Amino acid sequence: MEGKFVGGPDAGVAMIGQPNVAARRLDNPIEMPGALSFLAYGHFGSYVHGLDEFPTNVWPDNIEILYYSFHLMITLGTIFIVLMAYANFEGWRGRLESNTLLLWVLMLALPFPYIANTLGWMTAELGRQPWLVYGLFHTSDGYSKVVSGGDTLFTLIGFAGLYFVLGLLFLYLVGREIAIGPDHESAEREATVIG
Amino acid sequence: MVAMWYAIVSLMLIIYVVLDGRNFGAGMLHWLVARTPEERRQVIAAIGPLWSWHEVWLVGFGGTLLAVFPRLMASAFAGYYLALFLILWSLILRGISIEVGGHIDDRMWQGFWDFVFVFSNCLLAVLFGAAAGNVARGVPVDADGNFSMAFFTNFSVRGQVGLLDWYTISIAIFAATVLAAHGATYLTLKTEGPVHDRSSKYATYLWAAAVPLFLAISVESSAVRHDVVGRAIHNPFCWLGVFVILIAAGIMISGLKARHEMRAFLGSNFILAGLLTTGGAAIFPVMLYSTLAPENSMTAYSAAAGEQSLRLASFWWPAAFALAIAYFVFISRRYAGKVSVKRDTQGYY
Repeated sequence: MEGKFVGGPDAGVAMIGQPNVAARRLDNPIEMPGALSFLAYGHFGSYVHGLDEFPTNVWPDNIEILYYSFHLMITLGTIFIVLMAYANFEGWRGRLESNTLLLWVLMLALPFPYIANTLGWMTAELGRQPWLVYGLFHTSDGYSKVVSGGDTLFTLIGFAGLYFVLGLLFLYLVGREIAIGPDHESAEREATVIG
Repeated sequence: MVAMWYAIVSLMLIIYVVLDGRNFGAGMLHWLVARTPEERRQVIAAIGPLWSWHEVWLVGFGGTLLAVFPRLMASAFAGYYLALFLILWSLILRGISIEVGGHIDDRMWQGFWDFVFVFSNCLLAVLFGAAAGNVARGVPVDADGNFSMAFFTNFSVRGQVGLLDWYTISIAIFAATVLAAHGATYLTLKTEGPVHDRSSKYATYLWAAAVPLFLAISVESSAVRHDVVGRAIHNPFCWLGVFVILIAAGIMISGLKARHEMRAFLGSNFILAGLLTTGGAAIFPVMLYSTLAPENSMTAYSAAAGEQSLRLASFWWPAAFALAIAYFVFISRRYAGKVSVKRDTQGYY
């Protein structure tokens, strides 16, 4: 997750950096020193184990995608926290509805929670590899031998189709609600509640 | 211990079928009992707030099965792969049709989602019926405890069988009839006006049709699995099931005659429960009967998890069960009585 190839004390959290698995290092890292040690063990000086201390056959299969999905999720999450704190601050000062720039940013932020959510799942599922049950059961031993590749492709296509339809439905219905706009009665009611 | 867990897992499945069966039934009869858009909203409102709660019991059943009979789960979920995905997709489509149908007040839009609703409910009733047929008939389990099945092979009940054959299809027809009758009985309880009158008519016809079908599948079942009958007559739960069916049928008939809807519906619930109890007790302890060679069959004893897991499960299961019962009581009270389309306005489920 952290692209930590070499273990050591005072481990930092990489803000930016590209994992280079072949050379076993993080290229162009900008780190927050000691942060990873603190997050993992509660002390800035604690020793954090690196990937070099484990045999490569128990490494996650795709370290690059794992690293990026985790880091993007954390980045997005941090942006959400800052954005929400700022929006609440503006709301508290009564300027939320007149701060056009903030409203634009909030509106355009709409898809990112979905992306962060998906990245979180990718982190969980990529990070657990190669284990299905940690220490007990490899993913490569966990598939059903009697289910053919054709069957799984069939169900995969089926799910893709179903999700595509669901996605279209979501966009259509949400778009329709937006086009109708807030209904005046409930908007007035809200205004009186807030006022 | 294993027998107790077999009974518990069966109980959870029975609760699911009894609860969600009414939704399948109401869904199948949707077009028949309700003609105008307002009437159709009435049917949707009768099950709209409840169906997702009922599906919890299916999830609970699957979870318990995984914890207690892991070997059965491993074998059956791989073997029934395509059938399970069809059930899953039908459940998803039914959910979408209820959720989305009410969002736009347009005849074409609602007509389309009504079609999806009816279609997926019919498919679910037939698939669950066929699944019950498969459990009774057996599946081609090999010596390693694995099996895989096509949808159909040569429609015979021996050897390399498919999901559908003459026996499982007849069970599916019986299941669809009984579930439709159950749904009709439920709708008489929940609706008023023309929908109520039509439902009550369908309930009478469908329950009457179920009787000869029941006799037919009983004869068929004893022919397909002659090993079962000798064991079943020594199983007290089998007799309990038959007893429940008879009593419940009496209660239901008197309820239908006296137009006492709650009594009829109670009877209908217990008929389903009795049918499933009889079936479940009759096949015990074999959970996956092998149509290839009886010695490959997987019994409850060979499929069960270790002693330690079962003990752990007996510790946690009652707590979860109590929670599930508690919310069941809560929603039953919350949505008791006739539905009012005005109170349960469309578009929110």
